[in-house]
Amino acid sequence: MTRQVRASAGNRPALAVALVLTLAAGGFAAWEGRSWYAAAHDDSAAYAAQRDRALAAGEQAVQNLNTLDHRRVDQGLDLWETSTTGELHKQLVDGRQEFTSQVKAAKTVTTARVLSGAVTELDDRAGRARLLVALRVTVTAPDSKSTEKDSRMLGELTRTDGQWKLSGLGQAPVGGTAAG
Amino acid sequence: MPTPRHHLNRQRRRQALADQPAAAKAHAPVGLLPEPDSRPGSGPDSRTGPRPGRRPAAKPVREATEVPAEEATDDRPAAPKAPKARRRGLAPLVVLCVLTLLLGGFAGWAHSRAGELRDDPARGNTALTDLARTSEIKGQTTAAVAALFSYDHADTGPFERAGRTLLTGKAVEQHRTLFAGVLAQAARQKTVITTTVTDSAVERIDGDRARVLVYADQSSVSTAGTRRTGGKQQSKAQDQGVYAGAMFALDVVRRDGRWLVENIDTFGR
Repeated sequence: MTRQVRASAGNRPALAVALVLTLAAGGFAAWEGRSWYAAAHDDSAAYAAQRDRALAAGEQAVQNLNTLDHRRVDQGLDLWETSTTGELHKQLVDGRQEFTSQVKAAKTVTTARVLSGAVTELDDRAGRARLLVALRVTVTAPDSKSTEKDSRMLGELTRTDGQWKLSGLGQAPVGGTAAG
Repeated sequence: MPTPRHHLNRQRRRQALADQPAAAKAHAPVGLLPEPDSRPGSGPDSRTGPRPGRRPAAKPVREATEVPAEEATDDRPAAPKAPKARRRGLAPLVVLCVLTLLLGGFAGWAHSRAGELRDDPARGNTALTDLARTSEIKGQTTAAVAALFSYDHADTGPFERAGRTLLTGKAVEQHRTLFAGVLAQAARQKTVITTTVTDSAVERIDGDRARVLVYADQSSVSTAGTRRTGGKQQSKAQDQGVYAGAMFALDVVRRDGRWLVENIDTFGR
């Protein structure tokens, strides 16, 4: 006879506890949701991601442009052209014929390894960036003698269709004058 | 908590409604489904009629303790269905529990998503995103390189001071090794080395640690030893010096507001 009374009376503290827990969970969810939203819409994070994309693309492009095998010149130069844009791209396309014959005559195999790289400037909106790439270039001559040379590359990147590509590349000048 | 109580009452009312037809049929075989409120007689009938043996006392006791005022106005009996009512009394509890689980689940998921985003290495590296710190590191590194890699045999004070104040950890030993050859002959050759940073870029900043890629020009002049090479060549070297481009990376660490060189990476050279 008193079972129902007890049940419903026993329900009430349980309900109160459940309600408190629900509210606590709601508060927790709101807090975490806000923190997640903030993390997902962080401007500096987007900028950092852009910086890393530019650096990765730039290092790869610089490496590509310092890699060429005389036995596969066309593939190599195709890669050069897809890694570049703008003025640099134009130069490469224009000089392709001449360069192909030079490399085929010299019979060299050039490989490059990126030692280190860093972005110096990044204009996220304009889609332009500048970077330094420390490069170690190995040139193997037909007599299979190879020489190693370190290059201090300065690259300029331009974003085209969401892809970062090299629009300028040169070596850091030594002693105030440009060195080859 | 009025909500659950009303809920209970509503459920009781519905229960009473559901029981109504059976009782009504006994009195009015027409089969008319009446509105319980409109038939005053149906109330008492339904209270005792359908299930007389069912804990009749339970109802009054509960109403008395719970809602005496409503009891007075509510003429419908709401025949007590103990197990069902109790089960339904659990409904809000179940709803709250489910809600708690859902909200808690979402909170946990959002927490892990936010953590994932924050742990993104791109975000951990504040090079360029923290412009003030980036230029601070560039500036101090440029000054440190100039001081650490410049040497004047006539006044070795600045060089030694730089070595004492700008280096830490294994960089001390690395710096000593790099200059061992120069220092051995410096006094005799009257060497003057001047190092200038031409380009630098901060690769990574992680709190109090950073890595900087440095391009520097080094000019070295030996103002003594005409005998060494002799003739015009020597005088030419004296005038212009010997320029060399260097590239290396420095790991720097922040101590008391200053960035000290902790590691000199010459890329295996």
